This record gives sequence, structure tokens and C-alpha cells, in this order.
Amino acid sequence: MEKLLDMAKKAADQAEVYSADNISNSVSFQDAKLYNIETNFLSGVSLRIIKDGRLGFAYTRNLIDRQELLNNALRSLEGGVEAPYELPATTGIKKIDTYDPTSKTITSSELVEEAKRICGVVESKTTGEIMAVAFADRDSLRILNSKGTDVNRQSSIAGTYGSIIFPGSGSGIGRIHQSKRFDRMPDVLINEMSSLFGKGRKTVEPKGGRMKVLFMPDSMITLLWRITSGLSGRSIYENISPIADKMGQRIFSPKLTITDDPLNDNYPLARAFDDEGVFCKQLTLIDQGVLKSFYYDLKYAKKLGVASTGHGYRSGPWGGDPITTKPGPFPAHLFIKSGSATLAKLISMMDRGIIVEGALGAHSGNIPNGDFSVGVSPGLYVENGEIVGQVKDAMVAGNIYETLTNVVELGDTLYPSFGGAWVPPLLCDGVSVTTKN
Amino acid sequence: MFEVLEKILSGSGGDFADIRYEVMQETAISFSGKELTALSANATDGYVVRALNKGGMASVAFTKQAEAGTAIKSALENATLFAKNTAKPIRLAKTEAVQDTFSPKLGEDPRQVSMAEKMELVKKYNDIPLAQAKVVNTAIGYSEVHRRKYYLNSEGSRIQEDLITTSIRGLITAKEGHLTQNIRVGIGGSDGFGSIRGQEQHFEKQTKLVLDLLQAQPVKSGVYRCIINPSLAGVFAHEAFGHFSEADIIETLPAMRQRMKLGNRLGSGILNIIDDATRPGQLGFYKYDDEGVPVRPIQLIKEGVLVGRLHSRRTAVEFDEPFSGHCVAEDYRYAPIVRMGTTYIEPGENSFNDLLQITGDGLYLLDAKGGQTAGENFTFGANYGYEVKNGRADRMVRDINISGNLYQTLMDIKAVGNDLELSKTGGCGKGQTNIRSCNGGPHIIIDNLVVGGI
Repeated sequence: MEKLLDMAKKAADQAEVYSADNISNSVSFQDAKLYNIETNFLSGVSLRIIKDGRLGFAYTRNLIDRQELLNNALRSLEGGVEAPYELPATTGIKKIDTYDPTSKTITSSELVEEAKRICGVVESKTTGEIMAVAFADRDSLRILNSKGTDVNRQSSIAGTYGSIIFPGSGSGIGRIHQSKRFDRMPDVLINEMSSLFGKGRKTVEPKGGRMKVLFMPDSMITLLWRITSGLSGRSIYENISPIADKMGQRIFSPKLTITDDPLNDNYPLARAFDDEGVFCKQLTLIDQGVLKSFYYDLKYAKKLGVASTGHGYRSGPWGGDPITTKPGPFPAHLFIKSGSATLAKLISMMDRGIIVEGALGAHSGNIPNGDFSVGVSPGLYVENGEIVGQVKDAMVAGNIYETLTNVVELGDTLYPSFGGAWVPPLLCDGVSVTTKN
Repeated sequence: MFEVLEKILSGSGGDFADIRYEVMQETAISFSGKELTALSANATDGYVVRALNKGGMASVAFTKQAEAGTAIKSALENATLFAKNTAKPIRLAKTEAVQDTFSPKLGEDPRQVSMAEKMELVKKYNDIPLAQAKVVNTAIGYSEVHRRKYYLNSEGSRIQEDLITTSIRGLITAKEGHLTQNIRVGIGGSDGFGSIRGQEQHFEKQTKLVLDLLQAQPVKSGVYRCIINPSLAGVFAHEAFGHFSEADIIETLPAMRQRMKLGNRLGSGILNIIDDATRPGQLGFYKYDDEGVPVRPIQLIKEGVLVGRLHSRRTAVEFDEPFSGHCVAEDYRYAPIVRMGTTYIEPGENSFNDLLQITGDGLYLLDAKGGQTAGENFTFGANYGYEVKNGRADRMVRDINISGNLYQTLMDIKAVGNDLELSKTGGCGKGQTNIRSCNGGPHIIIDNLVVGGI
């Protein structure tokens, strides 16, 4: 890598070598039976060079021919993609704990045993079609650049996913458990999933209209995608963010506080530097409903005359392959501040409404504008604080800049959600629900 | 290359093993508004091995040849672990060993076109919407993916096949006051660079539509009788039904599997759906799947009755149905899974005018904008639409999302048009992305569609 950097430095004004290795193991049980065991060993090297304010980008899986990789980057320069920024000189990064050594010794057999255990526990509580996944991933990353930056990290993430499918429907109630170290899925998650499943067995056909909607972690993608779009430095630069001129103003309910906290290593995948080698820091985006900050990578920060907030990542909402993807702004460590209500309490606060466990079509519609219109998959209908059954073919629609001013309460527990975010269940009022009736 | 692969596999042991090595060349050119945001051409490569032993199966994907030994060993160990933990041994359908080298006929090989010319073409198309003052942004990109796949298995198959996919696709965003609207653009295919030349009209049409959308009204949410155009009919065939013809999806959902037995009536008698990736010249074309099985046309629904299913070698045995050649991977990073090839509703008898008359009052919805399925429920967006009143298309509506239910909606197909269009760009995500996923159909009428506005 040093050799590649030296060659690249001679050919360009600035250069960066990004090298990543990933090893992942996963087993899946479907209908409570072992279905798949998969392993991945993926490596790669990616080269960014900057010359006369222009960007050259190239990558390979196997760094055999350095000159060829550099030539690809030089050819890429000819296009004239702007790169007005300076790569960072990053030294003395904060030490954070992102790696658990037991992740190296975890065996496929242990993953099989845990997934099997989850299926067994769920089977003892209810009858549905049970799915379980257990996985363990290890990543290593090193970034070198021509400013002398040489940073690296090792990380591990392991976990389990369980879900119970409503027979005949194919959609179900699922929960994820993940941490740096592989451990058992906590009983509280299995119980929650089993209990909600049990209450949703009956199908009901309520009337539509405006009502309370409880967004659960799996359906929060609907709101998070639009929130992250509005707050992105890229959206500001492209003039598509509806909140570009709202800094310091209240745009959401005072109950809503959203931070990005990459340094919090109580959670897996914490980062001390982003994929451009820029220091990470805690950033409050929304403080009690008030817009406090947007987030930026090097490029869009420079374009807008501000500093990078350390949010240049080589992946987006759907993950993405860090070797083949250029950095762009993304908040990979979002936290929505929890409230004080237990899930039971939240449900009891609903006179009439829908618990959206999963959302279909969150990627459709006018995302920059904040509009959403999703199918519930599944949705549980609540009346007088009690779940009465499952509602099918219902759509929940709105605009986040309206819906999120009507937050009733947030749950007291954070769950992993879309794009690395940790979120509590979120109860909103006055949301439009369309049903067949 | 096959000698190297043979050598890697020779140490595998076990009852069956296969290996796929791919070299993937990708060219990307992107514009965001006037600004060029990406331009690169790169090659990557990698391997996937699968091992079957004593009824257990496992796969390993790796990118460094030096890791081949570890990968094979790990696949075999995991297959053996699988065998110990399953009551039902996995078997693979018996297929013929194939030796073949195949490269599709292209209307102009994109690899022979210079980067400068590709960039000029994208820029030309991108400038069409940007000439309009109300267009605030575009995100339009060229993608060229050339995969050369080498497949070898322990039964004697050795296949080399090239898949070349080109597209120019993206989004045009227009704004007036506080209203923002966007519309998708997309051209391309798997038959060469020729399919993306001379497509100015497409960009002109989409530009006009997005400006019209700024004047349109939001659709009123409710339950409607709808005419959907071929683009939406294709997504409908794919999302509302197609995923449940993928055997690996329903294999482990006993209740759905029961409802999806061959011979069961799923739709109205005028509904015919086929998967035919062998049709030449269309996006979804391929010859062999990633198990080395030649793909064949599969009639899925005949006059409303379920008559066929898409399979891997594993699921064909599990269902005791014919294998079909539909086990496909995104690229070298993935083991293959069951995927649709080219799924479409076959044309019927009605002219478009007939469909308007039959509809009477309802909506005419056009152009897919994302879709998703979870079990029996599906949802997808339409780029734009029109109210239909007394058999005539009336004012334009926007912000349209549709949701429905598999079992119900197929029964609610009331009429099928006599036209047929297949999609030019793909991107189905079922854990892996399939950029060649192709779908289509004629104009059709569906009753009782739930349309969610805002």
C-alpha cells in the first residue's frame, strides 16, 4: 500500500489509498429449519487521486498490478470530476473499542446452535412460521494519504435476527439483536416479538382516516430516509432540501432530538474517523425539534464553504461496497433520543391507530420533499389502547415535516434500524391511513 | 482459467462441488445537474464455491486466490455441519453436464466505444431537462457492466458466458414554489450500446412530464378501478406475483406454499404470465444460470391457474418439479439464489380505447417508481397518472402509491390490452441486486386498487 501511495503521489497532487477486508459468516433457519450457511472473504483496495482540482478514482480486489490501478485512476482524471478539497492530515485519533477478539473464534456451529435456540424458544410460545439468522462479521480498514494520514481500525459485529411470519401472508414480526460480541438474543426481544405476533393473528378491517401511528424500528426507515435526505450536505448543495434555510428553527416536535454519535463504542461499528480519514465527532442534528446542523463529507463541505463533519462514508442507506463506492455524506451513527414510555405504555396511549411493524415501499415517492406513502407489512390495529388484530392492505402516508411535528411520545428502548441508526418506537398523531374500508 | 478452477476444486472432497470465477468490468459516468460527479472504469474479480456433502450444503465467496484452500475447506466443513443439523438432506436435480462458451450478439459492443463518446452522450441527454428553468436537478448516470463468468462443477460442466448490461438512468427533479416533483428516466438493455443511442425523445418526454406534474393535483386516496400501463403491469407481475413463483421464497412458508400449489386458481381467467429469459434482444436474456443450467421459458400462470414455478436445482427436487435454470447471483460476491428472468403478462385482446371504455370512471396510472413485496402484500409507486371520467383520460394526478394483496389483486384483473412492452432497466433487490431483472406486460385493468395519496 505504501508503494502504491508513493507511485500515486508522484503522478498527482494528492492521493489516498483505502484498503478493506471483510470476513462474514451467517447461518439462516427458515420455518425453524436450517436453510443456509454462507461465508464471505472480501478484500479490496481503492485509490483516490486529485490533480489540478480533479478526481481520479480506481479500485481492485487484488492489488497485483499497481501501475494498472494507477493508470485507471489517471484515466478517470480525464473526465474532470471536480475535487476542490484537501485530503485531511489526521494524527492521534481517539482510541475507541470497536473489536471483540472472540469474534475471531466464533464457529459456524455456535451460530447454528443460537439460531436453533431462538426457533425453539419461539416455538414454545406461539405457532407461526419462524425465521432466524445468526451472523458474525469482522472488518479491517486502513486509510493512507499523501498528507501523512495513516489510520486503521478493526471492528466486529455479530448478532441475531428472529422473525415470526403470519402463515399465508409472508410478512411477520421481527427483531434484531446486535453487538460487538456474539451473544444470545435477549429474552425480552423474543417475548416482545411473540406477544405482538399472538395479538396480530386475527385479521381486522378498520376504517381509514387520520389516526395515531406507532412506527416500530423496522418501519422507521420510512422516516429516517427522508430525515437523512433533508439533513445531507449534498441535498443542501443540490438545492433539494426543504429545510436548507431553517437552521435554528423548530422543524419537528420538541420531543425529537437526533444526534449522530460515531464515538459511542457501547454500540457496534463505532468510528474514530470516517472513510475519508476525517476525525469523527458527536454532532447534534436536531435538538428538541430545532434544526442544529447538517452533515458533510469533504466534497460538499468545501462546496458550501464549511468544514467536513466527518460524514464521508463509502456506503449509503443500503450498505454498499466500500471498495467500489466513492465517499459521500451519510450519517452512519444516528441516534434518536429515547422517551420514557414502555412499548405497552405507548400502545395504551393509542385511542385508535396502527402499529407499523414493517413498511413496504419506503424507497418510493418524493423522498427529498419528505413525502412518504407506505404499505403496512404487517400493521397491527389498536383500539382503546388494545391491539385488536392485524390490518392488511393499509397505506400510511404523510410528509415528515408535518408528521414529525405531531410526536406524541417515544419509547424508552433503542433498537437497531436503517443505515446503522438506533431508534426508539415513535408514536405520532393525525397520520393519514387508507384502508379498503 | 478452467485449469486453475479445476485445481482449486480438486481438493474439495464431498459429494458435489462447484466454483464460479468472474471478472467484472464496470464503467460509470454520473452527472448531478451540470456537474460530472463520477467517471471511472475498473475491473474486479472473485470466486464462489459451493459444496454438498451428505445432504448438507454451504457456500463461500472469496476474492483472493490464495484463500482458495481455506474457502474450500470451510465450505466442506459447513456442509458437513449442515448435514448434522438437518432432518431433510439436500439433493440437487440431475442435469446434463454442459461444456460451452457463449457471448451474446451485440448491436455495437460498448467496450469499443470511447469513454469520451460515452460521456458526450450522457451529457447530451442530461442537458435536455437542464435546459428548463424549473428543472432544479438531475441525477443521470451511465452504467456498463461486463461480467465474464467461468463456471465449473464436479459433474463435468465447464461454461464460459459473457453478460453485458448498459444503461443510462436517473431522476429529473423540478420545483415550483414549495412543490418538488421528480420523474425517472431509463434506457438500456443487454444487447449493446446501440440501444442507448438516439434516445433524445425519451428525455424530452420525461422532461415535459415532470413539468406537467408541477401543475398536477395530488391523487385523492381511495379505492379505484385502474388502467395501468405496461411499465406498471410489469412491476405488478414482478412484485405482486413473480416473487412467489420463486421457489426458494415459498419453500419455507408452508401456508403460502399450500396456496401456491400448481393447479390452483390464482387469477381471473384472462390472466397469462410467463417467464422467458430466452427471448433475444431483451434486458433479461441469458443462456445459463449460475448452476450451469440452461434457462428455459416457464409458463407461470395459464388462464388464471398456476402452472409453473422458477427453480434452482435444490428447489426443483424439494418441489418435485422440473428444473428451470433460474438460480442466479448478482456477481462474484454472492452464491446464487432463485431469480426471475423476464417475467411478463402476455397480451390479450383489448385495444387501449376498449380499456378506457371498460374503466368508465377511475384512474390511468403510468410508469413504475419502485416496488416492494412482503408476503402477500405489495406496494409500488407510479410516476404519474390521469383521472378517467366517462371513459376519457382527464386531469393529471401526482404522488401515487398503490398497495394490494397478491391473492385478491390477481383475481381483480378485469381486462388485458393487446400491446406488450418489456422493461429496459432492472434492479430487483432480493438480498442481492439483479440489474438484468426484466418485466413487462400490456395495458391492463385492475379493480379495487388501494391508492394512497398524501
